[in-house]
Amino acid sequence: MSEVEQPHANLVVPAFEKTEKDNKTQTQKGQSCVWRFGGSDKAEKASTVTLRGVIYMLFGNCSKDVKKTILPLGHGDPSVYPCFRTSIEAEDAVVDVLRSGKCNSYGPGAGILPARRAVADYLNRDLPNKLTPEDILLTAGCNQGIEIVFESLARPNANILLPRPGFPHYDARAAYSGLEVRKYDLLPEKEWDIDLEGIEAIADENTVAVVVINPNNPCGNVYSHDHLKKVAETARKLGIMVISDEVYDQTIFGDNPFVPMGKFASIVPVLTLAGISKGWVVPGWKIGWIALNDPEGVFETTKVAQSIKQNLDITPDPSTIIQAALPAILEKADKNFFAKKNKILKHNVDLVCDRLKDIPCVFCPKKPESCTYLLTKLELSLMDNIKDDTEFCVKLAREENLVFLPGEALGLKNWMRITIGVEAHMLEDALERLKGFCTRHTKKIETDDESLQASKPSDNNVHV
Amino acid sequence: MGDNNGAKQWNFGANEVVERSSSLGIRDYLNNLMSNLDGQDKRPVIPLGHGDPSPFPSFRTDQAAVEAICDAVRSTKFNNYSSSSGIPVARKAVAEYLSRDLSYEISPNDVHITVGCLQAVEILVSALATPGANILLPRPSYPMYDSRAALCQLEVRYFDLLPENGWDVDLDGVQALADDKTVAIVVINPCNPCGNVFSYQHLQKIAETASKLGILVIADEVYDHFAFGDKPFVSMAEFAEIVPVIMLGAISKRWFVPGWRLGWMVTLDPHGIMKDSGFSQTLTSVLNMSTDAATFVQGAMPDIIGNTKEEFFSSKLEMVKKCAEFCYEELMKIPCITCPCKPEGSMFTMVKLNLSLLEDISDDLDFCSKLAKEESMIILPGNNIVFLMSFLESFNY
Repeated sequence: MSEVEQPHANLVVPAFEKTEKDNKTQTQKGQSCVWRFGGSDKAEKASTVTLRGVIYMLFGNCSKDVKKTILPLGHGDPSVYPCFRTSIEAEDAVVDVLRSGKCNSYGPGAGILPARRAVADYLNRDLPNKLTPEDILLTAGCNQGIEIVFESLARPNANILLPRPGFPHYDARAAYSGLEVRKYDLLPEKEWDIDLEGIEAIADENTVAVVVINPNNPCGNVYSHDHLKKVAETARKLGIMVISDEVYDQTIFGDNPFVPMGKFASIVPVLTLAGISKGWVVPGWKIGWIALNDPEGVFETTKVAQSIKQNLDITPDPSTIIQAALPAILEKADKNFFAKKNKILKHNVDLVCDRLKDIPCVFCPKKPESCTYLLTKLELSLMDNIKDDTEFCVKLAREENLVFLPGEALGLKNWMRITIGVEAHMLEDALERLKGFCTRHTKKIETDDESLQASKPSDNNVHV
Repeated sequence: MGDNNGAKQWNFGANEVVERSSSLGIRDYLNNLMSNLDGQDKRPVIPLGHGDPSPFPSFRTDQAAVEAICDAVRSTKFNNYSSSSGIPVARKAVAEYLSRDLSYEISPNDVHITVGCLQAVEILVSALATPGANILLPRPSYPMYDSRAALCQLEVRYFDLLPENGWDVDLDGVQALADDKTVAIVVINPCNPCGNVFSYQHLQKIAETASKLGILVIADEVYDHFAFGDKPFVSMAEFAEIVPVIMLGAISKRWFVPGWRLGWMVTLDPHGIMKDSGFSQTLTSVLNMSTDAATFVQGAMPDIIGNTKEEFFSSKLEMVKKCAEFCYEELMKIPCITCPCKPEGSMFTMVKLNLSLLEDISDDLDFCSKLAKEESMIILPGNNIVFLMSFLESFNY
């Protein structure tokens, strides 16, 4: 791939050029006044856990001197690659709505009714307990959904259970809203099943919810019906709600079918977070939803539903453009479009796993069957002078302009996450570079033959 | 599953702070008033409680702006995640646009694209909310500031806008209110809800006062250019040398597209004061954790700004001016209502209710509730005896 080609030109990748000079930092001389505003510790603490910091640090280690294009495989945005272009029907829906002139106004805080109704119909295809439009609340992307739900649940001393490995935005928003975070494990030896005993051990009377991500980012597994039912039963026993992040529900390429947590809403109240960002590959369109799966009306009686709706009244909304287009987008949801996208992802997974066979110090214990990432474990004992995953990734960036995410950023030390939602040739290139890097850094194991060789006079000593 | 559902104890509940905060907001008031509407009344509801004329044909947005977004969508280049301050083309377009009316060039690096002006308010208030801090808000004010401050538990102190002085800021009042924990003052110009435009001299005095107090100026200019009286619109950006200014704006009002959710927060800090204090870093942190404006609307910004002709703005402003004049004239004919200052900007005006002339109406909220019920008309109660109304659609009715 040439230096000039930048298929990911729109991806957030800093260029090598120097950034614009900072504003003059000289403070006004002779200013006797003290400035009263300053930084916020709370914001600092919360934002340090975001991925952006780690990714930018790794980009900072890339260099023009390594004459290879930067391969940004540490974070995910398939939308910049032509092979993942969204469906024409989705584009049409937005253009039609714009030209109608009917999407320029403010909408109600929870979203416009046609959109809410369309989401309810869409989700009801797979749910026994049918949702009404009132159960659907629109958000400016799934991430904003997380923000709003956490803020609406925050109370003094409340804690929330998050998975490890997980999605750092949860940690950041929990910290920012004052919720204490407690982590439960996803068990690598059990194909990333949820550690249910672990959940029971860490929950107490101040626990308000358990967050489940299914299909799972970053592990790529899809939970079975029975396993999810057990999660629901455990949550009920503990008196907590399940927050089910299902944003990857249309990004599945393995054999296990997706089961919405809402199926178990008669066991435990389920708050589902999802959207069209991943399914339709349009994270920039910024629309998601909160679905209240709650036939027993618990969210009403505990006033959680009210709290979320009130919060939505004073919070920025998704653009009316995309709300108005949502009914057409969801109605025209095309299995073929999803299948095409998922096939590319499956191919990419197979490609990476195949190449990894030749790289002993990086291996993938469980092939992902969903989402756009592949988790690998690092065999650091085979490596020379690399003490952990962060150091591995820093050196890899420095020597090969190749960026993978150190698992520590997700709570999994000495693992590494590879983004597979990219063009296949990028992965070919990446695995080549990875192989070269690992070969260079693998410990040289001395065999008997070699030690024998070493005791012979070296050829170099013979001069003619 | 042996337990009785009725006896089931759940450990989660609502955050009370959210309820208190949202009750301060406009939507809450509007929702309550709307619930008073008489379903039997066949007349169309006249919605003068909030500023959104976009449903009315005479305030349709410019076609060039619509086409700009259609092009952006079709290009397939704007479906991706945006960086937290916005995509470069949008930041550059907004910087150039705002610089047209200034004596200096704004750097794109100082422009942060937000989900409408509201998100800029959300982010700023949140970033300023350090323990013990307080913020100065005008009274009367735009209630979203109050809601967001309540949610972040940032103390609010109110300074007066003086109707007898054309709604100018009570600067002596500001100085009396501020203490060493005050972090910022919010100035809304052109003013929502009062309908006045601040003069150059007055803005300069506000800047100087803020500088003396060591506080930031948050200049909410979402109604920029909505000045149709004698005073031209002047941006607080002109005084950034005197005091650090954070200027807020959006395309919502000028293009009549509040639903498109594209706003900005511009940090004007030539002496690096916000940077040195650590506040800039906090803003960046909060931006990193927050959602962004739709990328395709951002991508369309160069063309939205570049292709909309000046005639669109001037003809719409002319219409707004006519509405304001009509509304003012008609209001002056109603004995129990006085309008202290003829509106000269924004989409609103504050009028005073003379309760002594009215039978069986106890206060402004009662007035507005009864008006909704009897006349299917929505206007917003203010504090005590003043209330506000949007004059825009009054022309049509």
